[in-house]
Parts: sequence; C-alpha cells; structure tokens
Amino acid sequence: MPTPPPPAPAAYADALAAVEGWFDAQGWAPFDYQRAAWQAFGRGESGLIHVPTGAGKTYAAFGGPLAWLRAHPRRRAGARIVYLSPLRSVAHDVELALQRIAGALCPDARVESRTGDTSSAVRSRQRRALPEVLITTPESLSLLLARADAPALLAGLDSVIVDEWHALLDSKRGTQTELALAALRRLSPSLRIWALSATLPNVDTAAQAAVGPGRAATLITAPIDRPIHVSCLLPDAVDAFPWAGHLGLEMVHKVVERLDVGSATLVFTNTRNQAERWYQAIQRARPEWGARLAVHHSAIDAEERARIERGLSDGSVTVVVCTTSLDLGVDFGPVERVFNIGSPKGVARLIQRAGRSGHRPGAACEVICVPTHALELIELRAARACVDARDVEPRAPLDAPLDVLAQHMVTRALGGGFTADALFDEVRDTVGYAGLSRAHFDWCLALVREGGATLKAYPQYHKVVADEAGVYGVPDARIARLHRMSIGTIADDPAVWVRMGNGQRLGAIEERFAARLRPGDRFMFAGRRLAFVKLKDVDCVVKPTKAQPTVAARWGGAKMAVSTHLASALLRTFAGEITGGPELAAAAPILAAQAALSRLPRPGTVLGERLQSREGHHLFLYPFEGRNAHEGLAAVLALRLGRRQPATFSTSVNDYGLELMSVDPYPFEAALADPALFDPDALVDDVMAAVNLGELSRRQFRQVARVAGLVFAGYPGKRKTLRQVQASTGLLYDVFRRWDPDNLLLHQAEREVLAQSFDHSRLAASLRALSADGLEVFDTPHPSPLAFPLMVSRINETLFSTEALADRIAAMRADWETP
Amino acid sequence: MRPAPIAEIACTVAGEAVRLLSARALYWPARRTLAVADLHWGKAETFQAFGIPVPSGDLALDLARLDAAVRATGAERLLLLGDLIHGAWGLTAQVVDQAAEWLTRCPAEAILVEGNHDQHVAALPDAWALPVLPSLRDGPFRFCHAPAPDPQGAYVWAGHVHPVAVIRGRRRRGRVRLPIFHVGAQVGVLPAFGAFTGGAELDEPGARRYGVADGQLIAL
Repeated sequence: MPTPPPPAPAAYADALAAVEGWFDAQGWAPFDYQRAAWQAFGRGESGLIHVPTGAGKTYAAFGGPLAWLRAHPRRRAGARIVYLSPLRSVAHDVELALQRIAGALCPDARVESRTGDTSSAVRSRQRRALPEVLITTPESLSLLLARADAPALLAGLDSVIVDEWHALLDSKRGTQTELALAALRRLSPSLRIWALSATLPNVDTAAQAAVGPGRAATLITAPIDRPIHVSCLLPDAVDAFPWAGHLGLEMVHKVVERLDVGSATLVFTNTRNQAERWYQAIQRARPEWGARLAVHHSAIDAEERARIERGLSDGSVTVVVCTTSLDLGVDFGPVERVFNIGSPKGVARLIQRAGRSGHRPGAACEVICVPTHALELIELRAARACVDARDVEPRAPLDAPLDVLAQHMVTRALGGGFTADALFDEVRDTVGYAGLSRAHFDWCLALVREGGATLKAYPQYHKVVADEAGVYGVPDARIARLHRMSIGTIADDPAVWVRMGNGQRLGAIEERFAARLRPGDRFMFAGRRLAFVKLKDVDCVVKPTKAQPTVAARWGGAKMAVSTHLASALLRTFAGEITGGPELAAAAPILAAQAALSRLPRPGTVLGERLQSREGHHLFLYPFEGRNAHEGLAAVLALRLGRRQPATFSTSVNDYGLELMSVDPYPFEAALADPALFDPDALVDDVMAAVNLGELSRRQFRQVARVAGLVFAGYPGKRKTLRQVQASTGLLYDVFRRWDPDNLLLHQAEREVLAQSFDHSRLAASLRALSADGLEVFDTPHPSPLAFPLMVSRINETLFSTEALADRIAAMRADWETP
Repeated sequence: MRPAPIAEIACTVAGEAVRLLSARALYWPARRTLAVADLHWGKAETFQAFGIPVPSGDLALDLARLDAAVRATGAERLLLLGDLIHGAWGLTAQVVDQAAEWLTRCPAEAILVEGNHDQHVAALPDAWALPVLPSLRDGPFRFCHAPAPDPQGAYVWAGHVHPVAVIRGRRRRGRVRLPIFHVGAQVGVLPAFGAFTGGAELDEPGARRYGVADGQLIAL
C-alpha cells in the first residue's frame, strides 16, 4: 500500500493544541515528558516511554496518536490506533479513560475494546469495521491476525501502543506480541509503535523489542521519582513466630488492626489458595464489613472480578485480597494502601505493587510487608535495601521459542496466507527471533505443514498447505477452528466450572482437584464456603454451606523464584553487610539460633548441614540462588549421588536452599568430599538425565505442547467434542521420545527446563561456587532455622530414584508392614 | 524396540486356572484363549487428522508385543476386548494394512468384542476379517468391554477403564503409578494394552490388584 504523505505539520500542531486544551479543561498541565512524547510521535518516531506508575503514561502515549487521528481523519471507518493491554480486565478501564479524551477531540472516532470478554453483538459489529481506537490483548490481537481479512482490517493502522510492556517482555506472551507487532509492521509500513514500561535497568532492550531490531527507538523518560516507602509489620515476639510456613495467618490480627474499611486497600498474596485463606480470616475478624471485603484472583469468574474492580472504583468495595491478578492496573483507581503478604520475590514486583497505592502524580507510594515466617524478616530487610537503591531486575525477551513460532505460522496462514521467504524475513524482524536460523524456521514450517520430518509418510496430516504460488493457508475448517480456540501461550490446567445448583457460575477449578472431591467435601472458593455436590460433565456443582472447609482448593502453576537481585541482597544481609532496621532487630533470636547450631550463610562459600532424624538421613545446602536453580541442583545431585550408590532421594527446595533426604543411610560425607559431585562440565547432560528420572521435563513439555498445538487447553465446556484427541502430555512426551527423539519441540522443552525451570545460569553459578569456593558442612543435632522450612515443606517435594521400580515398590510395602 | 520377556502370575478365578501376563494380557489355558483390551489402534493417526503432529510408530510396537504374547502362550484364540480402534479418523490405509498384515499371519483366531470407540465406524475394514461380537460367554466367564457384573452370574473379564494403581510410600518414598489387573469378585478388569493410552485409578474393596512394572508382575 502507498505510504501516506508526510504530515502537514500545521494540522498536527493544531491538533496537539487541542489536546493541550483538553488537559487545560480538566485543570491539568501536561508534563514535559508527555509533550516530548507527542512531539516525537508527530515526527513519525517510535519508541518507549518509561516513567514510574501513576505518572500519566497513558496520556503520554495516547496524545500523539489521537492528535494524528484528529489531524488526518479518513472517510472510511476502520482501525487507526491499537492499544494493547496485557489484562483484559484493565482493557475496560482503559476504554473508559480513552473514550473521555477521544470523545472530546475526535467525536466521530469509535473507542472500543475487543477481548475475550467482549460480547458477541459487539464482535459482530466490529466484524464489519474495526473501531478507530481498538483496545485489545495480545491473544485477541493474534485472533484478529488469524482472520482471513486481517490484511484489509489492519493495513490502515497509524500506531500501536503497548501498555505494561515490562510485564509481557520476558514471557511467551511477550514473544507472541513481538510476532504480532512484526506482522502489523508488514501490513502497515508507516506504523509507529510506542511501548509503555515501568522502570527497567535495560530499557534499550525493551524499546528495541517493541519497535523491532535495528530500528531507531526514541526513549522518553521523566525525572519523576515517586518516593516508595517499604515497611514491615513485625510479629509481637519472634519466639512465638513460626520458623516455616507460607500462609502467614498468624499475622492476620495485626493486619486487620491496620485495615480501614473506609479507604481502598489491596492485600497482595502470592498464591490463589493463600488469597482465599486470608480473605476467610479477615472476614471472620470483621464480619461487619460484608461485601466491602472481597477476594480477587484469576480463577474467579470474570464477571465477579469485573464487579469487584468496579466496586473498587466506585467505593462499594474497599478491601480486596488479591494475587498477581491486580498487580497491573490502570492509573485511575483510587487505591490508598497496599499490603504484601509473604516474600515479595523480586524488587520490581514489590515496586509495582507499591505503585498501586497513592495514585496521584508525585505522591509517595507505600507498601506494608507482612512476613509469613521468621526468616522472611531478613528477606524483607534485604528487599527494603534494594527498593531504596532502586536496584531492579532487568528483563529480556525469550530467545526464539519454536512453539510460539509454530502457533504464529498457523495464525498467519489463516490471516491471508504467507510465503515462506516473506514470513522468514518478517519473523526475524523481532528481537526474539532476530537470530533464528533458516533451518529452524524450515523445521517449524515442516511441523505445521506435514508434522515435522518424521511425519512425511502420513498424508492425512494437513495443517497448513501451500498453493501453486507457494502461499500457505489452512484449507481444513475444522483445523482452523481448533487453532482459533487454542491461540495463546498461557498454559492452564484442564478446568471445570464451579456452579451453584441454580446454574450461577462462580469460576473455575482444576479438573484434577475436582475429580478427587467426594460429596460433602467442603472448600473455600471465591470467598464462599461451598459443599461439593457432584461433578457433571464440565461442571463442578456445589451448594453453599456454613460449616468449616474440609479441603483446600489448590491450583497448579509455577511457583515464582526469588530474583537474583533479592537473593544476593539477602545473603549480604545474613552476612551482616546490610544492617539496621526493625526487621533485623526482630530477627535477632533466629539469627543467633542459626549461628549457634551451624553458622550464618555468607557470600563466598556455600553452607551445608547434615542431620539424622526419625525420617531418615538429610543433607541441606544453601546456595541462595532461588528455588528454580535449587530444584535443578537437587536433581543433578540426586542423580550423581544415586550413581555412586543406588538410592532414592526425596528432595525439597525453597528460595534459600535444598534438601536431599534418603530413608536408608547414605554416605553423604564421602560423596561430598569427591569434587566430581559438583563438576559443572557435564551439567546439561546430567540435568536432562535427572529430569527424566524425576519426570520434570514432562511438566515443561506440557506448556510447549500446548502452545505448539499438540494438546488443547482445558477450556471448560469444550471437552466433549475434543475427547478423541485428548492425551496427557506425559503420554505424548513418551510417544515423541520413542519415535521422534530429535523433535525440536522436545529439545525446546528440555531447554526451557534448563533455562526457566532451573534457571540454568544460576544453577551453573551455584555448581561453580560449590566446586571453587567450597562447601562448609556442619552436623546439626536439630534442624537449624534454615533447615526447618525445607524439612516441613512437603508441597513441592520431588522424588529421584536410581533403584529398580520393583525394588522401590518392595521398599514401600516393607515400610507399611513394619510399624 | 523389542517386546520385553513376559512374566506371569497364575491364579484361580471362578474355579478356572488363568494366568495374568506382564504383557498386559490374560491367558486362559483350558481354552487356549488370550484376551487383551483397549488397543486403540490408530490413535496417533487420529491426532494427525486433527492437525496434531503425534508420530506414528506405536502400532508396530503394539503388534510386535501382541505377536510375542500369542506365540509365547501358544494361544489358539485371541479375544480383543473392545476399543480396538481409537476413532474413524485414525483408520488410514497404512494403519489398516499394517494391522491386516499381522492379523493374517496371527496363529490364533482373533475375535473382537465391541467397545465404545469401535462404534465410531459403521464397520471395521474388510481386510481385517474380524468377527465382531457384543460379548462372548464361555464356561464360567463372560468376556466383554465394559466392566459391569453379568446379570446371568458369569464372571466378567473386561477392559474400558484402563485401570492403574497409585502406590504411595510412607516416610517420603514418593509414589509410583502402574497399570494393573483389577480382579474383583464378579469382574476382572485388564490393563489397557495400547502403549499410547492413559489410565484411571481403580481400587475397589475386596479386589486383588496386580501391577505391571518394568516387565514384571507384582501382587499389590
């Protein structure tokens, strides 16, 4: 299509004056950085705006495109501005905010969102012509790209705004967004892309990933630094405070004392189960708050979540216990206070959560951290030091995940088709795939064309098919429908709806959990006490109950590891390099106990402890590299120890260290003296071998398989039609390993296990530390404060065995026979 | 890949001596009858037809295992207790030919007792020349697909549920998941024969369970 003529500067300048006028009418004055962003847009530039949350980023990004729209109206309706938001719940608030300013400046322009929540009536209206300003999510944008008329619908775009880019950047959703942006740049060559991000140490990478590699990116920032106050709610006496645990319910009364139902408050937790439990505990303490107290997490029905978010805006809901589901949010909510229960896990995350409070530009934000066990006091001191120094974790795009590429190929084949050469160039126009080899691209294309190299002989497999001109499309309507249903990169476990007898839907729980319920079992969900009635097709039918819950609803999902930044600060805090503060004063008794039983960990050497208990023989190591690296390290060590002498180890990890436990005696002392145990050289091979032993890469393969279209996500309600083609990914993994061991998706799953599940670089670092800096091992008569949480945590236990299966079963049965 | 050697456990059910085989099959020596359930031929190919690139290969492996079991026992009759095929989409020419080739050289007479998946097609391929029965009554036994007690009081051998046992260890020894024979008072359920099949935990009171582990059979 022809490039539009260069802008008439006068028209754009006039339109900008109108934007300023609108600001004026609101009683606002634009910040300098907002004006700078508008000017840069007028010059045709793309780039990244990074300022702290609550500083008016949305207007900085939207002012330019809107002025452009006003200066260059078109007669034909159609999309001009796409506003990408990572959360569909946020999309609605953005829609309202943008409608206000657009309604004043471009009254003819439609401002509408299109997400998974959009009604079918609105969708079908949008089918004729997209609104001028389209607010959508990465998944819904990919769905648009999968429409046959995508080129016509999107060719007239002037600009794309990518909100909360830092939240997407280092995930597969970020990769999916990069690919979609590359497709949009091709469809509309004059497209300008502006990303919005919170503070990152590597803004250049983030900007490049948004605008495309090798292109000029303008960075817009502002000397706005909102003060952030991190404080810690201290337990009355650390002696009475538990040494382990993650729920933190001991602290409920102290939190409740500080909650004010008159001011909007978010109480952040780390898991959905924890959110339910905290909601329940607060409700018990303050029954009179009624509906002003609410619980919000991703498994709760979208309508209920939207109701809570509206309530938070209009003041009818004030205290919300939530998970990451409310980490992100628009700048228009009136949140006054923020609590964070448990480990903040990362500095950026704590700042993000703190940023939800005090939403006036320049106003300070404040977060009150609540420890769930004694060691977290030390972690919170470390976190406060990092926040004060603004020592934030960097984020970078993923390196060429082939599952996302395979999905995108089918999307582009549906959306008007592609030729191989053109798509290769387009895909390499992303930071994530800039280094993609033609061989890997061709392998992916072969995967969606004929199922990969090994499927050449199976002519019934046709996902994408090329016509005589070499243009790939999807001829089979059934495959097209299945693909549209499974676009996206978020791997959920198969789920069933939670429904009342009258049909009212409360949300979704995992099928695995529902399948284990027996009639009469009671659990908490969406803040209600429910009794299980029956499982009927895809519905888990429940009824309200007053009695106490008997089971806790659990959700899978990866546990987040503490960041390298925070872990290193934590180690420095243990070693006395970060000092002072009420947290450390409160933690003094536990530090003294640790020092007396073994010693305090410090940078330079790795601390180890050995212990014999009624359970068996324990080895603890504390590398402080985060739970993922520890999981990998535990796997490698279990494998290497098991090779010296057949054994079965149960392993347990947390962010501080790991435990290996053998029921039968194992000569740890001799093994630890052997430097080969920590040899970093054979690391990759040993991790992969250990992974197969511990069935870990099956778990990772599930996500890869889901994104690449090997399994269909467990959408409630879609099960019956797809039953014929449902297989557990464990089974699929076995079939692939038997017949197609060189499949690149298997390799990718293994790579992801290494990189993500085990934090490969941190794992290698901890092995290097163990082999170079050495290990100091202490025999302890009782579990030390560091050992105790590992010993009692059975939740994330993994088993590694080099014993024959029949021997293991015999051992298990012997256990039962001897009391 | 070669089939593993076959281990067996002898037991008496409804007064008849039978042998449970680690090849996930039941052998009844008195009638020289071998029974297997839930083979799911063409499962990978069904996935392929839906655009899911699952590699083929398990059919060859499963046929080799079946062949080894027939030859090792010297069975004269082979009962296929339902869900022989996975779905209509999976009956590709190659699957049909591969199975037909084996069926023609199979030394035992093969009979299909129909299962729910088999009803996805109006008729099985002619090349297989398989007699199809809703169930088969012989001596004290009734062979069928779904594991329900027989109204006429015969002892039922069935499949359908792909039974597995989950053995949980005490003292942090972890858990192990095994395909099992689930031998109850009125109904015996065979493990699924197909390699590409999952399973559901089954443990009814009073039933004896025998697990298949690494080519061995273990009474649980």
